[in-house]
Amino acid sequence: MALLLRTHYELAKSSLKRNRTRSFLTCLGISIGVASIILILSLMGSISSLVSTQVSKVGSNLIVVRPSSTRSTVDSIVTELTSSTQYLKSNLTLKDVNTISKIEGVASVSPLAVSVNSLKGETDTVVASATVIGTNSDFLKIQNLSLKNGTFLREESETPTAVIGTKLANALFGTAEPIGKAITLLGQRFIIIGTLAEVDDPINFNNVDLDASLFVCASDLNNIDNSLQIQQINIRTENTDTLAETSNKISEALIASKSGDNNFVVLSGDEITHPAGSLLSIISGILAIVAGISLVVGGIGIMNIMLVSVAERTHEIGVRKAIGASTGNILLQFLIEALILSLTGGLMGLILGYILSFLLCLVTPFNPFISWQILVITFVVSFITGIVFGLYPAIKAAHKNPIYSLKFWA
Amino acid sequence: MNEEQSENNTNETIIKLEGLSKRFGYGDAASYALQNFDLEVKRGEFIMIMGPSGCGKTTLLNIIGLLDTPTSGKYLLNDELASRISASRQARLRAKKIGFIFQNFNLIPNLPIIENVALPLVYSGYHKTRRLIKASEALERFNMKDKEYYLPFQLSGGQQQRAAIARAIVSHPEIILADEPTGNLDSRSSTTVMEELRRIHSEGNTIIMVTHNPALTSYATRVINMLDGTIDTDIKTVKDSDLPVPIERKTPRKIFKSRRKSNKKKKGKK
Repeated sequence: MALLLRTHYELAKSSLKRNRTRSFLTCLGISIGVASIILILSLMGSISSLVSTQVSKVGSNLIVVRPSSTRSTVDSIVTELTSSTQYLKSNLTLKDVNTISKIEGVASVSPLAVSVNSLKGETDTVVASATVIGTNSDFLKIQNLSLKNGTFLREESETPTAVIGTKLANALFGTAEPIGKAITLLGQRFIIIGTLAEVDDPINFNNVDLDASLFVCASDLNNIDNSLQIQQINIRTENTDTLAETSNKISEALIASKSGDNNFVVLSGDEITHPAGSLLSIISGILAIVAGISLVVGGIGIMNIMLVSVAERTHEIGVRKAIGASTGNILLQFLIEALILSLTGGLMGLILGYILSFLLCLVTPFNPFISWQILVITFVVSFITGIVFGLYPAIKAAHKNPIYSLKFWA
Repeated sequence: MNEEQSENNTNETIIKLEGLSKRFGYGDAASYALQNFDLEVKRGEFIMIMGPSGCGKTTLLNIIGLLDTPTSGKYLLNDELASRISASRQARLRAKKIGFIFQNFNLIPNLPIIENVALPLVYSGYHKTRRLIKASEALERFNMKDKEYYLPFQLSGGQQQRAAIARAIVSHPEIILADEPTGNLDSRSSTTVMEELRRIHSEGNTIIMVTHNPALTSYATRVINMLDGTIDTDIKTVKDSDLPVPIERKTPRKIFKSRRKSNKKKKGKK
């Protein structure tokens, strides 16, 4: 059997070599499909690895509470897409933050009330859609962030104060040092008392770009805007060992304080990274489908070429059958030929895909992501493509009548 | 001992056709290429089949060569019903026991001569080196060694046919079926090809050859004239006992013999 396979491999190789250009173009079809799949997989991989490294940087004693939207189901994702997250009413309130802070084992709590607002600087410069984060003084500690200048928010301050990210500062004031300047948000003036040191982590578990955000006290925000939405509550526990225990306590306390409403999730460890941009995962899912389509197109290319090749070599098939090739022999010969095409295409696609993802990494904050899973997926996908699209032509070749085939001259 | 064995071999019937019919088309359009055809071929015969076009010569050859199946009737190949042989074993028999020679040579145009000759060995499970050595030996027999790596179109018709004959005998088949092997050749090449066939025959091989050329009948031990799918005349020019004796070869006839034994066992059980 092994000998037969080797012989067929030799046969297939020599017949593919006879039509170099044709074989190459067919491979190219497959490789484009495979390359796009790899590109998407490595993109998704690098995003999730980015977020998980970030969480581990922040610390293993982190607990996050989010309004539950059962993100895992397709229905809720579609609802989220059609009715944008910003309008999804969150049931977390400042009261909950208070409740959590009283629980034993909790070191610090900070809410994240994210909204997109238009901001006005001192010289009538307006940033139409800036991220405003309503939080408290613990935020800096929990996130392990540091200030470049000034001080962070304090609840007890009488005038509304704000801390600004570098990117936003540059956009609004044309300088990275706007301390002391005033900013107008929803008709209320805020004095900038500090600037955040550059983070350069546009993708993180908070789903906000901290560099392009304005930080204000959640209570201040609540005074202007009564319908304050808290999208997330970040909690740091006193030690790592009691993480699970504490998160249970939080969950119980919240349910109790909300009179049984359990429309929220308490996440810790790896779970936090999971929903990092459900929109992103939807987009990459759609992209993967598109890539799959291009793979199918490539597969049809293989089938097409194999059918042409079978027709061209009808006479050869007749001769081979007359001198002793069985149906299985012919089937195997053409199937192996299709497999060589698809696997070579897969290999080319692998290389192409990685070149593309490296190029992509030059312009995005991602790191190229290579894993053995991707290699296996590539191999399996191109193998299956070869079998699926090579089988019909091979069967067609194998069942040719030797007598008629011998009379056939291409 | 040796003599006894060879005596056995000469008397052995290798091909037996009984009431064989082959119909093409159905109903009103039906026509018979072979009708109630009976034939018995002994090992070592050189049969020449003659007859007008369309009398079923090629169909007969295709059926004997297991490429085609009769509509009705029995075909016994070495006492074994051909219709009972599985498709894959039929293919193996074609590779090992039957050699085909065609009028239009039927070499694969983009393979060098040596690989063309080695082709039947691909399907009987030889390593590449072994295949090429055997093919080279076969070609040497026909003084074609220097043409090994030529492509078929670079050779003359006679050379191509000699290569095709080399291919037919490379796996030492017992039956050689030739469909007008000289039909496309000039008289000189024809003579060379016929001399080669005579040599193969003298080694004890059975040859069945279809031809239009009455001059070639001098090579045969038996001449059959066909007409409308039946035998018109059947003349044996050599007595059965004078047929050439197969020379002993290293390769044993495993396929046939083992099969025959098992058949006998089955019959005994019944």
